[in-house]
Amino acid sequence: MEKLLIVVVYAVYAAFWLRFLGHALVWWNATQTLVEPVASGARVKACALTATDIVFFNRLFRVNPGLWFGEWVFHVTLTLVLLRHLRYVLNPVPACIWWVQLPGLIAGYVLPFSLLYILVIRLFTNQEKYASLRNVFFLGLVLVISCIGLLMQALFKPDIVGVKLFILGLLGFSPATVPHSILFVLHFSLVLVLIPLLPTHIVTAPLVMMEARKREQALPLVIHGE
Amino acid sequence: MANDRSFTEELSSAQVLEIDACTQCGECLKHCPVQDVTNNPAVSPPEKIRMFREFIRATDGLKAKLFGPSEVDRKLLQDFSRAVYECTTCGACGQNCPVGIFTQRLWPRLRKEMVKRGLGPIGVQADLPKAIKCSGNPYDKPASERYKPWFPEQVQVAERSAIAYYAGCTGAYEAQPMVKGDVLVLNAIGEPFTMLPPEEEVCCGFPLFITGQHDLLKDLVMRLVAAYKARGVKTLVCSCPCCVNIMTRDWPLFYGEALPFKIRHITQYVADAIKQGRLKLNKPLNERVIYHDPCYLSRGVGVIEEPRTVLGSIPGITLLEFERYGLNSRCCGSGGAARKVFHENAIKMGRQTIDEAVKKKADRLILSCPACYAKVNEAMQGYEKQIRITDIMELVSGLIEEG
Repeated sequence: MEKLLIVVVYAVYAAFWLRFLGHALVWWNATQTLVEPVASGARVKACALTATDIVFFNRLFRVNPGLWFGEWVFHVTLTLVLLRHLRYVLNPVPACIWWVQLPGLIAGYVLPFSLLYILVIRLFTNQEKYASLRNVFFLGLVLVISCIGLLMQALFKPDIVGVKLFILGLLGFSPATVPHSILFVLHFSLVLVLIPLLPTHIVTAPLVMMEARKREQALPLVIHGE
Repeated sequence: MANDRSFTEELSSAQVLEIDACTQCGECLKHCPVQDVTNNPAVSPPEKIRMFREFIRATDGLKAKLFGPSEVDRKLLQDFSRAVYECTTCGACGQNCPVGIFTQRLWPRLRKEMVKRGLGPIGVQADLPKAIKCSGNPYDKPASERYKPWFPEQVQVAERSAIAYYAGCTGAYEAQPMVKGDVLVLNAIGEPFTMLPPEEEVCCGFPLFITGQHDLLKDLVMRLVAAYKARGVKTLVCSCPCCVNIMTRDWPLFYGEALPFKIRHITQYVADAIKQGRLKLNKPLNERVIYHDPCYLSRGVGVIEEPRTVLGSIPGITLLEFERYGLNSRCCGSGGAARKVFHENAIKMGRQTIDEAVKKKADRLILSCPACYAKVNEAMQGYEKQIRITDIMELVSGLIEEG
């Protein structure tokens, strides 16, 4: 069982990079095809606005403030939780990762509620005519993973040292023993299920947001310029 | 054509990223006019993008690169093609996309891909290239009837001038009060303007562009640009938002360099004339009017303020706004060359526009697009709710003091 888990870890790891490579290949091919003219000027302003779009989800706020609240809280708390988890991956642990431990812990408690909120809006309000099953499954999976994480944090603590040794062993390609915690194995296994489902828009959406801002800046010049 | 050929050839690099960047959130559906009238998520923007993403994966993904592309199911392609042609290409989905996908440009590109695969265009759209080649316009009407039925006798057109007016096919053949108003207003401004002879004023190419049939486009653009250049034109004025859109965004690409003249929508030209005192609207109009922003004029090229400037300069007028206006305007149903094929959708959308105008207690619905003008008028035939529909220049021309 232990060996199977380790094999799956490396299979998922390899599949993740192959998938990323596959997408990168499509993106690369695309750069060889047609290029639509991009208006010059106002690039700095477009970059600054894009940065705020990425951090604050401005575009979503504009179209759906209710959903924006849930999505923004979800992304912020998830980021803090992931940063907190870096203590299992890095050795020695940098000071900045220690600083996010408390915020990360609080975020861990907020995260499931933000996911529930999003799922309720997505599935049970009339304002949404379209809910992608893949997205719903993805969010549900993150919800389950985060709840198991909370259980481990609050009630059924695994051997933290064992967890870190296991993770570092995997990263160094010399796997150590899997910690004897069913919750940890479940938590870890579900993360392995989650990785292949990670949406690639986390890479491409910021670039498209940048193009959208450039386009907005250039719109007044399309027909109003000399 | 084999269905295993790459699906990214007709897309720009930014558009390939856009297809990957769609988060499938479905926010766009609340703004999609086709969704409003069909309630069919199968033709929705995220579903179209999801399907096209699968097509790309089949021919350009890692598996395809390693083991060869796999053939995409023909039925799936046909369903996709129908969905992409049912769209009015109004671009409201892109305007409200949390990622910012430029759908008003993406859908026509996907249509071009379908044409290359023999799956588009749909219905009468397939007749467009032949009609344009034979008669110079998509309606297959004789050039001799292009100006004759509506051109006012008192208006003189210069042989050469820095200003030219392009009537456009839809205006000339399907929305004649609109183009008649245009030339009357241009005449009243007093600056000499030229027009091409009817047999030379051919289609701007937009119907071909929007249906994905690009073969004749370059030839049309080269002919028109050369003709205006030969007449010493420095500003080309046009009232059709679709013509204006392709002239500003695509003509330079087909021409190969910047155009030798600038393009102006007629409301821009007239708003400038009013501001500079070259046109005075003294006759009052004590009415409540509501202005509909055409998608290809507002979202397409950003002409939003000028029509309001023109209307606002009419004494006594009260200008109302739709709930969705400016960049966020709602399509009236006539866009994307879908009005002739998906007629019922277009009529329902046109009636939604009429409904809101009536609900706001407007005396008139003001339009500034010949396609909107033709279709909304058609939508009102036999409908319980009635409102006076007037083109913006038709209105202005009636308010100019004679002599």
